[in-house]
Amino acid sequence: MVRRTIELFLPALIPSWRFFKSVEASPRIEYRILQGSSHSEWTSSFERPVSLTPLQFAQRLLWNSDWNNHLFMVSCAERLTEHVTQHSIDELNTRISRRINDADLSGLLQFRLLFLSRHGHQLVKEIEYESQPVALADIVK
Amino acid sequence: MTLDIAIRWTEVLLAFAIFQQSVEHLPAIRSERNLVAMRIPIALVLLSGFASSYAVWILTGMSVLLLRRFDGPYNGGADKMSLLILTCLSLVHHAPSLFWAEMAMAYLAIQVVLSYFVSGWVKLQNPDWRNGTALRDVFGFSAYPVTENLRRLSDAPRLTFTASWAVIALEVAFPLALSSSVVLLAALATTALFHLANAIVFGLNRFFWIWLAAYPSLIWFQMRVVPPTL
Repeated sequence: MVRRTIELFLPALIPSWRFFKSVEASPRIEYRILQGSSHSEWTSSFERPVSLTPLQFAQRLLWNSDWNNHLFMVSCAERLTEHVTQHSIDELNTRISRRINDADLSGLLQFRLLFLSRHGHQLVKEIEYESQPVALADIVK
Repeated sequence: MTLDIAIRWTEVLLAFAIFQQSVEHLPAIRSERNLVAMRIPIALVLLSGFASSYAVWILTGMSVLLLRRFDGPYNGGADKMSLLILTCLSLVHHAPSLFWAEMAMAYLAIQVVLSYFVSGWVKLQNPDWRNGTALRDVFGFSAYPVTENLRRLSDAPRLTFTASWAVIALEVAFPLALSSSVVLLAALATTALFHLANAIVFGLNRFFWIWLAAYPSLIWFQMRVVPPTL
């Protein structure tokens, strides 16, 4: 525990500052609900708006809760492809389940990670990870 | 700017940044919300200037707990900078002598300079940044553009090429801003606008507020190490 704390703390004390040194493949998180032998379509866990008004842009300087939550989910997705941890899986399951408005908790939640990258002039999507289905009722919200 | 004034301004701006981050995080799940909410009254104590040395220590400890909770920073570079500023301020407040207090503040200032220079240098080494392709990809398929309409900027190669070189030049040249206080203030105004643009276009609002909190250390550092021209 102490070792892990030091591993997390040191990059803050001695940062690398290599922001955007290259544009890597970008994750998209999709989920579906399994009910018995049937399942819903894969659905994006986050939809960005088509546009924002100047006032909405200004408001987001002070209040950007949903977007920062989305960025953390992206971070968890990237961590999962580097090293699968239960922490990242649980975080994604929890945050996806909060976005599901369906009051029915009888199904199983499954998510997958698609990564977008450019190959020449084409955008390519690759599925990098699919989670084990988890009962919605078991996910802590 | 004296060290005491730099410390106070850093505390005020940092308190605001932490207050904003924490309030914004309140709609979270309970396990996060309680941990984050505890920072709010401590940030207000820091803002007041009363017992600020203790407030800084407590906030540093809370930030480490948040690192553990999220198994890393919740908001990437913004959280790292928050913890860096808190750690340096903690060391300043509890340094055994003025020399070590100045060393801690100088370390923060140098890290801010590096945050720009290293970021610009790695971009300069990358052909995709030099030809504008990287920025086109950021708008084209990265997770960052806050609206779908902003993705259309990936279809403007001249704009992304110009913007790429503007960012590279600003970041790589930043250390030269230490040459004079006037140049530094102009550079900080420019980088503040750069962070504001990132906050608007990529939703990186926390970066904007926390980087501002680091600027007093730079202003103090420049005056401390570079003699004024006659």
